[in-house]
Amino acid sequence: MTLMPPRTPTLIQLLGLLVTLAAVGSFSVFTLRQVEELRRLGSDIVDRNRRDSLQLIRIQDDVAQLGLALRDMAEGAEPYPMEAYRPQFQRLREDLENALALEARLMPATRTEAQQRLLETVFARFWTVVDELWLLASEGKPEAARALIRTRIEAERATLATLISRLLIQNNEAEAAAVEEIQAIHAKVERNLYYLLAAVLAAILITGSLVIWHDRRMFAQVSHLSEQRKELAGQVIRVQEDLFRTLARELHDEFGQVLTAVGMMLLRVERRLPEGAPGREDLREVREIANQTLDRVRGMSQMLHPPVLDDYGLERSIEWYLGQFEKQTGVKVHYQKSGVAPWIGDAVAIHMYRILQESLNNVVRHAHVTEAWVRVSYAPEKMEMEIEDHGTGLPEKPQESGLGMIGMRERAELLGGRIEFRRRAGGGTVVHVEAPLGVKGGKG
Amino acid sequence: MLRREFLAGLGGLLAAPAFGQQGPGFRFTDVTRAAGIDFVHNSGAFGKKYLPETMGSGCAFFDYDGDGWQDILLINSMDWPGHKRRRTPLKLYRNNRNGTFTDVTRAAGLDVEMYGLGVTIGDYDNDGHPDIFVSCLGQSRLFHNTGKGTFVDVTRSSGLWEHEGFSTSAMWFDYDRDGLLDLFVTNYVRWTQEGDIFCSFDGNSKAYCTPEAYRGVTCWLFRNRGDGTFEDVTAKAGVLDTTSKSLGVTLLDFNNDGWPDVFVANDTQPNKLYTNLRNGRFLEQAVRIGLAFSEDGRARAGMGVDAADVDNSGLVSIIVTNFDNEMMGLYRSNRDGQFVDRAPQAGIGQATRHSLGFGCFFFDPDLDGMLDLLIVNGHIDESISRARRNVTHAQPPHLFMNDGKGNFRDVSRLAGESFAAPKVARGAAYGDFDNDGDLDVLITTNNGPAYLYRNDLDNGHRGVRLRLTGTKSNRDAIGAVVKFEASGLAGTRIVKSATGYLSQCELPVTIGLGRRDALQRVTIFWPSGRTEEYKNLKAGGRFVVEEGKGLKPDRA
Repeated sequence: MTLMPPRTPTLIQLLGLLVTLAAVGSFSVFTLRQVEELRRLGSDIVDRNRRDSLQLIRIQDDVAQLGLALRDMAEGAEPYPMEAYRPQFQRLREDLENALALEARLMPATRTEAQQRLLETVFARFWTVVDELWLLASEGKPEAARALIRTRIEAERATLATLISRLLIQNNEAEAAAVEEIQAIHAKVERNLYYLLAAVLAAILITGSLVIWHDRRMFAQVSHLSEQRKELAGQVIRVQEDLFRTLARELHDEFGQVLTAVGMMLLRVERRLPEGAPGREDLREVREIANQTLDRVRGMSQMLHPPVLDDYGLERSIEWYLGQFEKQTGVKVHYQKSGVAPWIGDAVAIHMYRILQESLNNVVRHAHVTEAWVRVSYAPEKMEMEIEDHGTGLPEKPQESGLGMIGMRERAELLGGRIEFRRRAGGGTVVHVEAPLGVKGGKG
Repeated sequence: MLRREFLAGLGGLLAAPAFGQQGPGFRFTDVTRAAGIDFVHNSGAFGKKYLPETMGSGCAFFDYDGDGWQDILLINSMDWPGHKRRRTPLKLYRNNRNGTFTDVTRAAGLDVEMYGLGVTIGDYDNDGHPDIFVSCLGQSRLFHNTGKGTFVDVTRSSGLWEHEGFSTSAMWFDYDRDGLLDLFVTNYVRWTQEGDIFCSFDGNSKAYCTPEAYRGVTCWLFRNRGDGTFEDVTAKAGVLDTTSKSLGVTLLDFNNDGWPDVFVANDTQPNKLYTNLRNGRFLEQAVRIGLAFSEDGRARAGMGVDAADVDNSGLVSIIVTNFDNEMMGLYRSNRDGQFVDRAPQAGIGQATRHSLGFGCFFFDPDLDGMLDLLIVNGHIDESISRARRNVTHAQPPHLFMNDGKGNFRDVSRLAGESFAAPKVARGAAYGDFDNDGDLDVLITTNNGPAYLYRNDLDNGHRGVRLRLTGTKSNRDAIGAVVKFEASGLAGTRIVKSATGYLSQCELPVTIGLGRRDALQRVTIFWPSGRTEEYKNLKAGGRFVVEEGKGLKPDRA
């Protein structure tokens, strides 16, 4: 995997939000427009049409009433003179005029000017003939009046009735068309609602998947980095160990032999000089210094990489080191061993050894105690080691634990084992380390 | 939510004693049987469902023998020709002055069969004895009261002969103020047995038709010539209108000009308001002043009608009963003479939506000085519940109590079990038959019995009863306006004949006073133009006021 600088997902999320907002926004605008159109259709066409139709029905009803009254007059159904019908006609005429005025105000757009003019003309003609009727009636010519009703008046009335029926039908048709249009708008809005839902869902889906993909990539990168770091730490430790080993060997082999030779030669020269001869004392002092240096070099070599580890294995090395440690620091170490140590590979051995070394150094440095406990247990498949002191314990804050503990952790990880730093209940620290003892004995 | 529930609970708590439990202060006790009223209406129905069968019939309280006790007249229809089963004449019951009545039909000479529907009673010849006009299917009848406890059919000689129609309500009144009662007769539709139309709710069985099926017909106005005869002035007076399908008529003076106007309730046609032009002519103005239609401009099925000064404002309110699925109309006039239907706001609209109302009148059963409202209901066809689930043939009445501010609440259920029971009611009238000062109620049902309910008032209220006798005015004082004042109470009442549907209430005026001790002032505007004023009438008193001669206690 290539290591790209991780891109922020905010951009993707913003983009998704933008898409969603745009979809909702455009849909809102669209819906508002459609609602406006619906309102227009509803109030301007349908409502108006209905109110107009109500007036037309009222006119139709009045015209029908006129027809009934005219029939009564023509038939002489009531024992009253024709003129007695005048107030009834007058009322119907007033109602008609009122209805016609209202109707003219509500007149739908489908009405042509010619139609409106025709309506007015026919009504005017009708009332003119009706006036003729009253004239004949007042002149006492009922027969002529009846004839007039049967011929011209009824014809005009029938024309009116037809005309109004036609207008009503026209209104109905206009209304039906408007209703159809309204239904189409409803369908369109519904369809667009589905589109909106789809768009929003898609935006959510894309944004979501991009974010998830991005997260997965981040995790992969993080774990990769962690692997790399582990490897690096392992290498550093290995290099260090190699260096220590080389240094130890060099110190032991080169300086040790040189110093031994120097000591031998100085002894030989010293023995050749007579007792009490001048310089003999100086030589002895130089030889002493050389011997001391040799001891120091040997000690350093052993500290860097105890040869006992290579020669006798981990178990003996631990015992040897603990002896050395007690001698050098004066801290009493209670050592406890259980199980039988199998063959332990170099790699495991050096890391376990270093962990013991570091832990005990920490006891000396931080615990301010005179006693420590070391427990080692071996099993065929793993070994466990516990270093315990009853001192001041681990620092409260983990960052204060220092580089030593990080090193121990790195080593435990290199071994494929685990390490645990515990505060003891009664005060002090327990370091517990566990390492598998496979054939390879870990990575190192 | 919690708050609303709390408030609702609180409201219920407060409302319960005010509206739920508290009675109206009186009960209507069914005394029909005890009083000896055994009348049963015969519609003549034999299965053909002729339209007139479902329309009748009316009733009246009147004092035919002048003894000061209200007698009862119940109009009857009859079997159809060719389907004769029994004789069913109208019935006259004389008040025995002890809470019971005696059937005096035969003795009074009224044992006559006719297809009667409505009734109006007035002393048209001013002889001191009330005469009876019965509106009929076919020829209506005029019965002259001889003053000896008998009646004589004078239809033929009266000039009312040869006026055959489907006459429904009728009303005596003096439109030309000549001191003689004239007669207004409403006609329903042009119906004949041969021309009967098949109507149905379910498409199979025949049902009674609504009037759309038939052509309208004019109402009639007859002027009293003063010689025992009448002149048909329908045309001359400008009343002719062949589009009307009229069922109810009432007298009112909506413009307070002292001249009687006429309101006609039309079924599925615009109502009519005939304004008296004071020259023997009328001008129909219902559309112009807002009485013709419902507030949404529809002509409703007007049945019964009454008009009165309901809120004691001096302005008239008009109740019109309508079909089910229609609210009743409660029109109230405003100061500029326009009428507005206040039924929904007044608490009457919703309450009457499912009722098919016929008889109705404003009266004061609790004597609190405010006019309350009785509406009796009943559907036209027994098969209606098959067609519409929430509508029944028999329907309970509405008894709306007036809170004094023009708002009403229905207390019929609290007024008595029999009273509140569903009925196929048609006519209704009030009158104080036991002379105890409160108003009793008579209800007729279609093809069923009549019911007499005695008012048992227990709220301690009292009133003043005035019996007006005209001298220069018509003797019944019909059209007289009584203006009254008591402490914190003032109003007007009008004396009139027909009320509601096919029926007539008693003529005496009852003015409820609540717990007041006296009526401070009464002003009477006689139809003759004379005005008289009387002061300090004691509560509980019954008085006779004779025009020009003063006031004295009623002897009865």
